[in-house]
Amino acid sequence: MNKNNRLKGDYLKSVNTAAIGSIFLSSVLSFSVMANIPEESPKELLQTVPATAQVCLSCHGVDGEGLGIAGPRLAGLSSEYIADQVSHFQTGKRQNPTMMAMAMTVQGDNIKVVSDFFAAKPVADIKLQYRGDKVVITDIGEKLAFQGDWDRDIPACTSCHGPSGIGAGQFPRLAGQEPTYLKNQLLAWQSGARTGDADNMMGSIAKKLTAAEIDALTQYFSAQK
Amino acid sequence: MKLYYFSAVGVLLSMGLSASELPDRQAQLPSVAKDANAQYIMPSDLSTIPEGEFGDKVRKGYQLFVNSQQMRDTYVGNELNCVNCHMNAGNKANASPLWGAYMAYPAYRKKNDKVNSYEERIQGCFTYSMNGTAPESGSESLVAISAYSYWLAMSGLMNQFNVAGPVPEMSDTDLLKGGNREDFPLPKAITSKLDQKALTMLPGRGFPKLEKPELAYSIERGKLVYLAHCQACHGEGGQGVKMAEVSALPPLWGPQTYNWGAGMHRVNTAANFIYENMPLGKSIQLTVQQAWDVAAFVNAHERPQDPRYKGNVAETQAKYHQHEGFYGKPSAADPSVILGSKSYPIFPASK
Ligand code: HEC
Ligand code: HEC
Ligand code: HEC
Ligand code: HEC
Repeated sequence: MNKNNRLKGDYLKSVNTAAIGSIFLSSVLSFSVMANIPEESPKELLQTVPATAQVCLSCHGVDGEGLGIAGPRLAGLSSEYIADQVSHFQTGKRQNPTMMAMAMTVQGDNIKVVSDFFAAKPVADIKLQYRGDKVVITDIGEKLAFQGDWDRDIPACTSCHGPSGIGAGQFPRLAGQEPTYLKNQLLAWQSGARTGDADNMMGSIAKKLTAAEIDALTQYFSAQK
Repeated sequence: MKLYYFSAVGVLLSMGLSASELPDRQAQLPSVAKDANAQYIMPSDLSTIPEGEFGDKVRKGYQLFVNSQQMRDTYVGNELNCVNCHMNAGNKANASPLWGAYMAYPAYRKKNDKVNSYEERIQGCFTYSMNGTAPESGSESLVAISAYSYWLAMSGLMNQFNVAGPVPEMSDTDLLKGGNREDFPLPKAITSKLDQKALTMLPGRGFPKLEKPELAYSIERGKLVYLAHCQACHGEGGQGVKMAEVSALPPLWGPQTYNWGAGMHRVNTAANFIYENMPLGKSIQLTVQQAWDVAAFVNAHERPQDPRYKGNVAETQAKYHQHEGFYGKPSAADPSVILGSKSYPIFPASK
């Protein structure tokens, strides 16, 4: 990853203040220590980012690469998926106070602008594992990922999320995503804080997973990078 | 348990094919309604497949079945994998499991006096469902898929009747024949409970027969079902979703899926399959009517040609399509086009 594209603390602060005022600043600032100094001056850099996406960078990273628990990686997701999720936060189908407020800052055509911006960001190539490559799988996360558990009607995760969970279209990339984030999503479906997937197709699967399985799955997928 | 006789099998068989013609190895299975109280056999975990040459064949069979794209351009001519229709790697009851199939071959068919071996049945799926070219008799891939099927069936039966020990090994020649023969070695504990006929109709075999819909099935209503419950995964144009060059979500019509000779192109077979297995994960259950309607919609689209086609759609239709299907009938996408007339190539090169 290009470290130089990370933002500097001061710059973060100015972007945020300009765009949304100070409500989220305290949480954002605590992460700014991790940020590096960009090669380009903040001003030049800003010009390459659509105005409406600038506010997102402080938590999701300049390249949408994700900043740990501040915000998940958006690079590697499709534009249609990002757009759908922004509107799910707006309509309350996804309950997350921070992101619900942030989603309100983008409206109308700007949803597509931010979505296209992050969807165009690259992710590193990874070594892919396909369904059927391994016959005997001992790790419970990897086993669910490639073989499912049909006694409980759980299909292999990779039958929808693709080889190694790289995703495409409406199926988000799981490979290399922040583990806490992945875990929170599966828990959010269990608690009802996340909905909006067509016919509840992901929700019905998440509800069948045990706590140990969720841990194993998030470890497995987040390590695929 | 209900017994079933193969002489009851559909019209296709009554044709009496001449030797020069492609054999119909996709003949409709005798499908029975699902029994809510059925007990399905439970094959052992894959981790118990033994080390050694025999075990290697079983493992290879699993891999070919789940990732059939490794045979693309040698035997496979579309983007499907066997597992796309036979869920859970051919291990799921009511999704035409391999363990149910294995014990039913060789299948004696009265009308053409043809005894179909297990290997021939698999060859049929390559020619039709995979729009490819069948591996030659006795080839490594047929042995492997047969060994895997045998291992599932035998371990499942041994588990059900408390027979201890490893699944007995078997020669390649015998593996290819299937389990429905007098000289097939079975422990007494099993044969004393199930006779040969019962073994050919293990509960969970095939796709369970769906009752008839209340209204005649309709492509128009089927389209609405498709848009609401299938499109998210199989795509707006039925072409599935590709990830890393493979169709993670498989195509349902067009050039890269099962051809006009495959069992799935029949509306009734597709309705049986869809009602029981789709949408994947079964977060919702379609109604009987919806399953028939959407099966009709999916199958009223152009796909690769019937391999038995000899240049005339009407003739092929008359000879091989006297069943519930849309070959030779107007297309859902454009009713002025007769399905079959603009079919896609058989066994096309991938690039
Ligand atoms: C203050 C930090 C913060 C800011 C600023 C922020 N987000 Fe987020 N975002 C988050 C967090 C935290 C989550 C995880 C929410 C959850 O757990 O449901 C998230 C989740 C998302 C997701 C869901 C990703 C997925 O894989 O489903 C999208 C899309 C998203 N954000 C887009 C945006 C956009 C677009 C902006 C700018 C308008 C933005 N975010 C600004 C913190 C932030
Ligand atoms: C039947 C198809 C299907 C299967 C199988 C499936 N998923 Fe999903 N998954 C989806 C869809 C669709 C979404 C996006 C939901 C939405 O639009 O809100 C999703 C989203 C997710 C997310 C949220 C990712 C993010 O960026 O917010 C996680 C985590 C996830 N799936 C994990 C899993 C795991 C683990 C498994 C296997 C146990 C699995 N999925 C199996 C369809 C599937
Ligand atoms: C497009 C879906 C599809 C694909 C892909 C597919 N099959 Fe099938 N298969 C079917 C259908 C449908 C039937 C049952 C036909 C019927 O009911 O008339 C069947 C039947 C079978 C049977 C006989 C089952 C029995 O109980 O008699 C075997 C064995 C089989 N398939 C093996 C395979 C193998 C091996 C592959 C991959 C090389 C494969 N199939 C790929 C749809 C498919
Ligand atoms: C959640 C995603 C999802 C939904 C929704 C879904 N399918 Fe599927 N479908 C799949 C996957 C994945 C497979 C392959 C299963 C496997 O490999 O384990 C499949 C396989 C199939 C097949 C056999 C393979 C082929 O390409 O012909 C048919 C036919 C099919 N689906 C029809 C439907 C119909 C009709 C609907 C709507 C009622 C539907 N599906 C809804 C994901 C889905």
